[in-house]
Amino acid sequence: MSVRITGIGIVSAIGLGVQENLLALKESRTGIMPFSFPDEDKMFMAGAVKATNPVLKKELQTKSQYISRTTLLGLKAAREAYGSAKHHDQIRTGIISATSVGGMDLSEQFYQAYLNGTDADFAMLKAHDSGSTTEHIAAELRISGYMNTLSTACSSGANAIMLGARLLMQGKLDRVLVGGADALTNFTVNGFRSLMIYDEQWCRPFDASREGLNLGEGAAFLLLENEKSIRFSGNKTLAFLNGWANAADAYHQTASSPEGKGATLAMQKAIEKSGISLSQISYINAHGTGTKNNDLSESVALINVFGDQVPAFSSTKSFTGHTLAAAGAIEAIFSVLAIQNQLIYPNIHFRTPIMETGLEPVTIMQTEKPVHAVLSNSFGFGGNNSSLVFSDHA
Amino acid sequence: MNFITAYGHLQENSCAVNGETICRRDKNSGDPWFRQIYKEQEFVYPKFHKMDVLSQAGFLTSELIKRANPQFAGKYKDDEIAMLFANRSGSAETDQKFVHAYQNGTPSPSLFVYTLPNIVMGEIAILNKWYGESLFAVLPAFDAEFYINHCNLLLSAGSEAVLCSWHEIAGNQIDVFTFLIEKEGESRFELTTNTLSKIAFEGNFHKTEINANYYY
Amino acid sequence: MDDLKEELKRQLIEQLNLEEITPADIDDNTLLFSDKGLGLDSIDALELIVLLEKYHGIQVTKPEEGKEVFRSVNSMAEYIRKRQN
Repeated sequence: MSVRITGIGIVSAIGLGVQENLLALKESRTGIMPFSFPDEDKMFMAGAVKATNPVLKKELQTKSQYISRTTLLGLKAAREAYGSAKHHDQIRTGIISATSVGGMDLSEQFYQAYLNGTDADFAMLKAHDSGSTTEHIAAELRISGYMNTLSTACSSGANAIMLGARLLMQGKLDRVLVGGADALTNFTVNGFRSLMIYDEQWCRPFDASREGLNLGEGAAFLLLENEKSIRFSGNKTLAFLNGWANAADAYHQTASSPEGKGATLAMQKAIEKSGISLSQISYINAHGTGTKNNDLSESVALINVFGDQVPAFSSTKSFTGHTLAAAGAIEAIFSVLAIQNQLIYPNIHFRTPIMETGLEPVTIMQTEKPVHAVLSNSFGFGGNNSSLVFSDHA
Repeated sequence: MNFITAYGHLQENSCAVNGETICRRDKNSGDPWFRQIYKEQEFVYPKFHKMDVLSQAGFLTSELIKRANPQFAGKYKDDEIAMLFANRSGSAETDQKFVHAYQNGTPSPSLFVYTLPNIVMGEIAILNKWYGESLFAVLPAFDAEFYINHCNLLLSAGSEAVLCSWHEIAGNQIDVFTFLIEKEGESRFELTTNTLSKIAFEGNFHKTEINANYYY
Repeated sequence: MDDLKEELKRQLIEQLNLEEITPADIDDNTLLFSDKGLGLDSIDALELIVLLEKYHGIQVTKPEEGKEVFRSVNSMAEYIRKRQN
């Protein structure tokens, strides 16, 4: 039971496109740096995509008057993943896109303008809807067989991939573009600050001194195809998705349980489904947000699943920041790249292990070891926990 | 074959379980509508008062369904009950409140935690200690096919029951339809597009552009 | 009767939406975060930080500082008096 991944596309703080991201990963170069919103002085650490809206619009040649940054990022990544795929009468094609902030960036502009009594255009709010990103991408790529928008917080991207895989396995679709997108907004920055889990310095996932996360923004999409679709497209298989699972933590709205119940269940079930043994997992791309709560809970869950044989693991959020609904998809692509290029990424800014568990992530890029199978974790508010298993074989 | 084994409707002025109205809104009450139901039905869960409207609606309808179907939860293991919710406006109600709070300089953490539509499923999982799968989708309108297809997916992948909801609250308009899907049930409640649509629309969903009040 | 403590009880109820509780139900020594007391959780703790800033002009920058401060109405009142002097 496995699904072929035949296309990938990504936009993140470390680059526009797969090649730029891969290069930054290889050079262990973080994309998190001091950032401020236009017209604001306050600087904070964030993983912003290094392209302004006008630049993205021009590059994408989109004519829409109001298009949210979430949609611009999503469209860029979706086009790269979809490649030269075309509409085909005999191939049922779907799209599942995940987002948590949707067009909040435009809604914020609207709100300010409205309060100031200056040219607030109500049409702007049409982009607020979470579904508007999906609809925009679907229209551009002419995907009409199935369309769905998922919003399950920070596991959304992983859940989109999981749902796409199931729709292929059950024969409902022949190919499906799955992923997620989220832009940086005042809304989320204020929100995580109010929860006092926004680190004003570089985030330090799995480090004893960690103080919280840095937000990032970005988008990533993967093209999943069945055999029939590949016969038409001739696409090469980049890697396989072998296992997936989602479980509830049933503990708290935003905090993870101390015993990591939901995370443990998600990892165990995904690995079981993949048919890959624990010892064959070469690398774990952890959720690792950098908050005190997540990283401890996830560490406990890793020990629950792997005992004293925890595989090499790291959080690439130290490169990209936490990209919320895009995170699961971005990290899925990093997992595919790890398998293709035999890379195990370092966890930047790690110094001292968490006292309770003593787990140490990888701190220096490893290029010597073969990477056959990767486990990727995505845990969301609401206790919505998902794990995916990727490998180099069916 | 799968079956609808219980359902509840919650709208602006009435709340019904399995088609029977159990509560009507008292316009003269000093309490908000959802609190009226909470009090009348004698629920005891103080956390209810801290929840946003989506979570309150999820609490009320899922608890009422459990009451109407008391043997339900005990039949399954804690990770065999999945949840499948959807709506049109996400968490827009609470989003607006949070925007207002931070524009005024006091971003409220308890508001922020509810600015995600899937938190309602988290609240239900916490209350019931359910560890099963959950999925929240944002759709243009209620779509029986969506629930049927995705229930089939969930029920063929380890889940034994699915608590579903069309969970739309925007401004003054409330269209909440929560229903339980199990593998055994009465033949007249077999899960088909026709039956599900018929039961859903007992609630007379608003057919207007639901977000109209945000645009104008 | 200590005005500050009574005021705090009213503010607690309002800020935390403790609908089913009246100021009379909260003793000065009631443990706010114990299940035997008010059973507050971590989000409530963050709201208490907002409360201190909003009503008393006191900023708490590290959530850990809150742990001792928010034990009870007594400890909150004591902290507010100390910070205001």
